[in-house]
Amino acid sequence: MTSPSRPSFAAALREALLANRAQALTQLYRQGFPMVRRYVCRHGGSEQDAQDVFQDALVVLYEQAVGGTLVLTAAASTYLVGTSRNLWHHELRRRARLPQQPLPDADLAAADAPPDTDGAGFAVLDYVERLGEQCKALLLAFYYFGQPLSQIAAARGYRTVRSATVQKFKCLERLRRAVHAVVRPETVEF
Amino acid sequence: MRSELERLQLIEQRLLRTPAALPAEEWQLRQLFDGELRADAAAQWQLYRGLRQAGRHQLRQELAAIHAGLYPRPFGWWPQQAHRLSGWLGWLFSF
Repeated sequence: MTSPSRPSFAAALREALLANRAQALTQLYRQGFPMVRRYVCRHGGSEQDAQDVFQDALVVLYEQAVGGTLVLTAAASTYLVGTSRNLWHHELRRRARLPQQPLPDADLAAADAPPDTDGAGFAVLDYVERLGEQCKALLLAFYYFGQPLSQIAAARGYRTVRSATVQKFKCLERLRRAVHAVVRPETVEF
Repeated sequence: MRSELERLQLIEQRLLRTPAALPAEEWQLRQLFDGELRADAAAQWQLYRGLRQAGRHQLRQELAAIHAGLYPRPFGWWPQQAHRLSGWLGWLFSF
């Protein structure tokens, strides 16, 4: 996972993340964090600042890797260090403008997300937490962590991919019904 | 699959642009005959946004756990010991 880029390197990283997320992330963490900590601490930040920006960079890397949009021109650790540096400079500029305000959670990683103008995302977040562990894990595995349904079916004991698919939509339907009463959908053109 | 679930699937295919998604013209046509399709698609899009936030939240928790495993705080026991010590001192000076 550390060798410089080849055309298939991002795909290999994606496979590693999907096969064993904890192991792949731990390896990336071990490779990248010491360099980021050194950089941030030498540029006016603390250990906690380094941890925050590095984890934001890992979230960005994860989402791009499983989303198939990651383009690696160097090793993944180099990408992480570069992204962390950019995030830290962004944070330094933000602090210079607004010195009294703490960094909002996930502010940096959410940079590519559409603006949540009505707070509906937060309402949905609450209902996801109330879904129950089975449904929550199934929905997050598919919709966020990018695991294919065949992998989900095998890992969670569904007899067939079809069974896992039906269960996924049952869970989504439960979430939809729970949220329906409180969320006013935006007018979006699809 | 129940019709409600099939409807979720139909909308999902459109929103996530899967290969099985209806062609744009057919989707537009369905919207003409199904007055609730547009609102249902918007609502489902909100669900995906919420799931994305929930996923990020979980990923951040996993990363914090990895960090704690790789870099345990050497004096993580200190607040607990300090609290215990203050209790002993309080007891000692109460005489």
